[in-house]
Amino acid sequence: MPTPTYIPLQTITLGSAASSVTFASIPQTYRDLVLVAVALGSTTLQGRVRLNSDSGSNYSSVRMSGNGSSSTSASLASQTSGSISTIATATTGGALQVELQIQDYSATDKHKTMLSRADQSATGAEAFAVRWASTSAVTSVQILTSTGNWAVGGTFSLYAIEA
Amino acid sequence: MQAIQTVTVGSGGASSIEFSSIPGTFTDLKLLVSARTTGTGQTWQLINVLPNGVTANRSQRYLAGLGSGVDNTSGNELQAWGSSASSTSNTFGSVAIYIPNYLSSVAKSLSIDSVTENNATAALQLLTAGFWNDTSAITSLELTLNSGNFAEHSTATLYGILAGSDGTTTVT
Repeated sequence: MPTPTYIPLQTITLGSAASSVTFASIPQTYRDLVLVAVALGSTTLQGRVRLNSDSGSNYSSVRMSGNGSSSTSASLASQTSGSISTIATATTGGALQVELQIQDYSATDKHKTMLSRADQSATGAEAFAVRWASTSAVTSVQILTSTGNWAVGGTFSLYAIEA
Repeated sequence: MQAIQTVTVGSGGASSIEFSSIPGTFTDLKLLVSARTTGTGQTWQLINVLPNGVTANRSQRYLAGLGSGVDNTSGNELQAWGSSASSTSNTFGSVAIYIPNYLSSVAKSLSIDSVTENNATAALQLLTAGFWNDTSAITSLELTLNSGNFAEHSTATLYGILAGSDGTTTVT
C-alpha cells in the first residue's frame, strides 16, 4: 500500500496584503512538512521562515542563486528568521514559487533542518539549506517578508508527509 | 498526492511523452521523470516542456552546475535535461517539475530540477525558474526532444496534489 504523502493540512489565500502568514496548531502525527507558496511581493523582498514564533537568533542558512546571467552563494548565521528566498519582486511576470521542506519536524532530539527551492522566472532560481537551532517540535510555521507585504492573491499551502 | 499516470518508454524509444486529459480535480501537479535519450555528443540532452502542447509564451532562468563550473542562462523556453546515449551505460537523468495552481486563470510558474547522471566529471545539475504566460488551465503536458528519442526504460509519472481547505486570511 502506498505511503500517504502530501497530506493537505491547510491553504491560506491572501485576501489582503500581509507581511506574514501563519500555520498554527500543526498536528504532531507526521514525519515531514512541505510548504508551497506562490506569491508576489508588494516590493522587492526576501522570504523568511520562523518556527514556533521563535524570534531569537537561532536560524542559519546557506544558499546558491542564479539570475540568468550571474550566480552567487552566501551564508547567514545567528538570524532571527530563516532565509528561504531572496528574489521576490512585484513584477507582473510569474509569481515567486517556494517549496519549503521541513524534515523531522516533530522530533525533540535534533535541530530542525529545512530545504527551500525558490523560483521566479523574472528574477532567478535559488536553493537554500536552513537550520533552526532548537530541539522543540515544530507546532507553527510563519512565512514572513523581509520588508513590505505579500500581495493579494498569494497562496500558501501546507502539506504533511508520513514516513 | 495521487499518481495520475505513468508512461514507460518501450523498445524502439519514443520521440515524445505526453500526458493528455489531465483531470481538473487537483491543485498542483508534480511530474517526476527518469530520462535517457538516444542523442549523442554531449552527455546530456535538453527536454522541451510544453504545457498544453504550446511552445509560445514560455520563459525560464536557470542556474546550472556543470561538474566544473557554473552556467546562468535565460531564454524563451521551458527545459528539463536528461542523460544521453553518450552518458555511462544504464544511467538515467532525473527531473522533478512542480506546477502550482495549474487550473488558475493567471500565468503559471513552474519549478524544474534536473540532474543528469554520468560516471565522469561531465554531468549537469540545474535549478530552473519557469514561466508560462498563458491564462489557460493546463490540461496536458508534453515532453519533446529536438532530435532523437527517449530511450527504452525511460519513465515519467504525473502526480496530482490537492491542497487543504482554504483558511482564514491571516494578516499581521
